[in-house]
Amino acid sequence: MGTGKMNLTASRPLLSLSALRRDVNRGVLPLFGAALFLCSSLTAAGAASQQIEKRFAVHGRPVVVIHNVANGRIEVKSWKNAEVDVLASQTSDKIGFDIEQAGDRIDVTANIVGASAQSRELEANLQLTVPEETELQLKTETGLIYVEQVMGDMTLESVAGDVHLKEVSGYIIVRTTEGSLVCTQCGGKLDFKSISGGAQVLQPALTNVSLFTTSGNILFDGDFVRTGLYTMKSGRGLVEVRFSGNDSFDLKAQTNLGTVDNQAAAFLKPDSHGVKHLASKFTKGLFGTVGQGLAKVELSSYSGTIRILKRD
Amino acid sequence: MQCKDVEFVVEQEGLAPLPEAAQAHVATCSLCQEFVADLAAIVSVAHELPAEIEPPARAWISLRAQLELEGIIKTPAVPAQGERSSWWHGYSDLFRSRALATATVGLLIVAAGVLQLRQPPDAALETPAGVGGSDQQSPFAQTAKVLNEQEIDLRNIQLATTTSPVDDSFRQSLQQVDDFIADCERRLQAAPQDELAREYLSNAYQQKAELLSAMMDREGSIH
Repeated sequence: MGTGKMNLTASRPLLSLSALRRDVNRGVLPLFGAALFLCSSLTAAGAASQQIEKRFAVHGRPVVVIHNVANGRIEVKSWKNAEVDVLASQTSDKIGFDIEQAGDRIDVTANIVGASAQSRELEANLQLTVPEETELQLKTETGLIYVEQVMGDMTLESVAGDVHLKEVSGYIIVRTTEGSLVCTQCGGKLDFKSISGGAQVLQPALTNVSLFTTSGNILFDGDFVRTGLYTMKSGRGLVEVRFSGNDSFDLKAQTNLGTVDNQAAAFLKPDSHGVKHLASKFTKGLFGTVGQGLAKVELSSYSGTIRILKRD
Repeated sequence: MQCKDVEFVVEQEGLAPLPEAAQAHVATCSLCQEFVADLAAIVSVAHELPAEIEPPARAWISLRAQLELEGIIKTPAVPAQGERSSWWHGYSDLFRSRALATATVGLLIVAAGVLQLRQPPDAALETPAGVGGSDQQSPFAQTAKVLNEQEIDLRNIQLATTTSPVDDSFRQSLQQVDDFIADCERRLQAAPQDELAREYLSNAYQQKAELLSAMMDREGSIH
């Protein structure tokens, strides 16, 4: 019995070691190798990636100009300091940054210095911290533009990158080729143009809005400021407006080949300002007034749907 | 004479020839010698800079066509070659850069659109069919021609070069705009008085002009 038990006990470790060796040979070793390779790759990437940080003292309202020809994100946030902080990071040495100050103007340009650079080597991210009152001119090709809590006129241009704005105000001009705009709690004036990018304007305090896209969708979800002017046009996309019961605006909606989906018929009265609007024989239209009709809202599409509804 | 006097003389009279008093000071002052040498180098390099590139001829053709279409200029039915040339050079002196020419085309698109929108609805009906009918049906014909030529040129350039995701994005967008223009033009052929369709067509041409300009700028900057 004792011997048998001993044998049994002795045989277990032998079996386990054998299994372990098999595991090592079949699975663990390749995994371990892969992990080693990954570690070495990460180390190489880490060695290649670089960061530059510069800080500039400014007086009054600075102007920040960024031109990023590489792929990557531009992020701008604000602080109370009278300084502009620029943090630029890049994944390879194929990108060069030119950062300069001329009075209260800060210029940042990311240039491609390696003509043979691969797409993955051309990633350059810029993170800026600016005074709350700052003017911005940002231009990029594929990365996201993100601006938060900045007050000042801004021109934001992108080819394929999206533009996200949060709590910004001023005269805001956005131009994209296919990037979309999300503007949350924005104030001032907004002018957006795109070919296939869409626009979402959420909880705005904007007094003047002009949105135009050839094929993107448009969503306006928020209050219309009294005396405000709002124009939203999409060639092929959906134009959707969600208003509140307290809003006051005149509405003119027209489409060539699309449809007007009026889900707020109960709130829309005939125009109360004595001007009788009629759709032309070539368009389908909807005209009316909500409240006293103090703001002016013009919606149109070529072949997309126009939807009007009241928020809960 | 002091160094600041030499600077003043150079500022007022240029480099050559320096007055004798200034020459005498420069001969003994190393700072002024460097100053004069630097200025001479700058002037020399500036003379070697190439002249600005002329915009493509089609920009002037388009400009002329649009101005004629709007009645701003009038030319003889068969203009003499010499007259065309002098008019041509007069305007080409005003506009030198490609970007400005593209912007001009864009402005003309808007102007043509506005003029069309301001025409009374019956204006087109009063024009007999076949007399200027093509102009009425295609208010942007000249603009379309210019932009299409630019597009062909651009495609030829791009075929010979490598592409990137940004180039692909531009091309897809251009295709979308072209498709939309075709849609609007079909609509306007069927209903020439459709003002909303005309407005969308005008905007689409404007977008196409801006897109082509951006694509050309990108080609110019990376190649």
